[in-house]
Amino acid sequence: MMAAVEVSEAEKVYILHGIRDDLRVDGRGCEDYRHMEIETDVVSNTDGSAKVTLGHTVVLVGIKTEIGKPRPMVPNEGYLEFFVDCSANATPEFEGRGGEELGTELSNTLYRVFNNKHSIDLKRLCISPGEHCWVLYVDVLLLQCDGNLYDAMSIAIKAALFNTKIPKVFISSDDEGGKDIELSDDPYDCMRLNVENVPCIVTLCKVGHRHIVDATLQEKACSVASLIMSVTHKGTVTCTRKVGGGSLDPESIFEMTEAGKRVGKALHAPLMKLLEQEESLGKKQQKVGFFG
Amino acid sequence: MPTDTKRVRGPDVSQSPSLFVCQPADGVSPQGPRADGRRRDQVDVRPVFVRCGLVSQAKGSAYIEAGNTKLMCCVYGPRETERKDETDMKCGRLTTDMRFAPFSCPERGSWIQGSQEKDFSTMLQESLQPAVCLHKYPRSQIEVNMMVLENSGSVLAHAITCASLALADAGIEMYDLVLGCSLRQNGASYVADPTSAEENDRGPDQSRNQGSLTVAFLPSLNQISGLQSDGEMSEDTLTAGVRTCIEGCYKLYPLVQQVLSRCVSRAACAPPPR
Repeated sequence: MMAAVEVSEAEKVYILHGIRDDLRVDGRGCEDYRHMEIETDVVSNTDGSAKVTLGHTVVLVGIKTEIGKPRPMVPNEGYLEFFVDCSANATPEFEGRGGEELGTELSNTLYRVFNNKHSIDLKRLCISPGEHCWVLYVDVLLLQCDGNLYDAMSIAIKAALFNTKIPKVFISSDDEGGKDIELSDDPYDCMRLNVENVPCIVTLCKVGHRHIVDATLQEKACSVASLIMSVTHKGTVTCTRKVGGGSLDPESIFEMTEAGKRVGKALHAPLMKLLEQEESLGKKQQKVGFFG
Repeated sequence: MPTDTKRVRGPDVSQSPSLFVCQPADGVSPQGPRADGRRRDQVDVRPVFVRCGLVSQAKGSAYIEAGNTKLMCCVYGPRETERKDETDMKCGRLTTDMRFAPFSCPERGSWIQGSQEKDFSTMLQESLQPAVCLHKYPRSQIEVNMMVLENSGSVLAHAITCASLALADAGIEMYDLVLGCSLRQNGASYVADPTSAEENDRGPDQSRNQGSLTVAFLPSLNQISGLQSDGEMSEDTLTAGVRTCIEGCYKLYPLVQQVLSRCVSRAACAPPPR
């Protein structure tokens, strides 16, 4: 279902034996990521955007903010909406409705990843309780697929949320008690989100008796099951999920969660450093664009 | 959708009256016994009622009841696959469709499958697939239809158990049964097989370990075929939770075996169909 490649038996054996000896086809160790590039503020019409390139996987995230009505169960909070589009650019299999199934699976996982109190402070997104709140539409576009969509997607979302600028609004009430929303005149007067607690997803693929991080499509074809984990900078796990047609024995699940926590925790500090660095450059920043 | 134009339609937007109920200040207290008298921090699962073969039209079917959670599952097939474009013809396909009856939850749901139901369907499929010998059914598909009649917590866990029973009842070759168990972590303590009130109890704001976990387990092979969690949990809590859920699955095992063997012996004793 996910852009699969044909891998022959001989190739499989080669990959399996390599991973057994902690050496992967592209020379990485079992817990290494491929080269990653992150660029924020890539689409001017969005309130926040980011593009992440991980090996040959390219993910573009755009965030649009709109004013909506809070959910009746939580009148004092705003909310996030996720939508993942598997573009037919990535693989012809996604043409028409082909990518829909994968897209829903990815967006449902994102809702679970953010289904906790600390990832994003939703209370800050409230404008007036029960009446108006900010709704963040997080739209993910897969431009190229070369394995490990989950990780690339979550990093791009964190970067885009960091980049998101929400306009400041004021509530003014007239003499008759009617309320009105006023937008700040200054376009630079905006609210930023605290993304410190936004988790990143780590996908661990079980290949043979070991597990690997950031699997390419070839490696994924050799794996029977993977474990998806979203980990915060403190090492808290906000979502786990087993994917794939195989099963895992409990001991390897425990090994994988341990490794996932370690790898995921280490992902945050360099990412935040990079985002802050890019932010400080401001307009001087060299744009790489889509052909970089 | 066809609508009745003669009928006075209700308002476009309506809300459940339950929203206007005054919420107790701090929900269910994290200490003390649970509302139904079960114990906290124990693998105290609800007593389960299971039956096989209740739908005569289906190849196999099962019904499960745990507390007020009621689920019904039908299995159809193996039959020729609908999607001819699927490249892998050596293996069969297992399709799952899980739906909540509109009246199954406190708030009325829609008949159209929502994203939550699709999510449950995927998780059910991923939990069941490792147990089914799909290579024995080339070019064919096996359909699992799950209907949630009443949702009173731990729906996915019981759906997994119920679906594996229905598959076994349909005579589909399997490596093992699949059993499901859920857990709700609430700060330092946990509740096994939570009811929906316990699932939605968010607890005080500051507590860090808040989450739900569902495990699908193959008891005789000692393999985990499905794992799903959300909320916030430390890795240690998660690991401990998985162990607890496995224990919970083992508690279900004798009963499920007994139901299956009774079902089989009844089928063997029954007069052959004319």
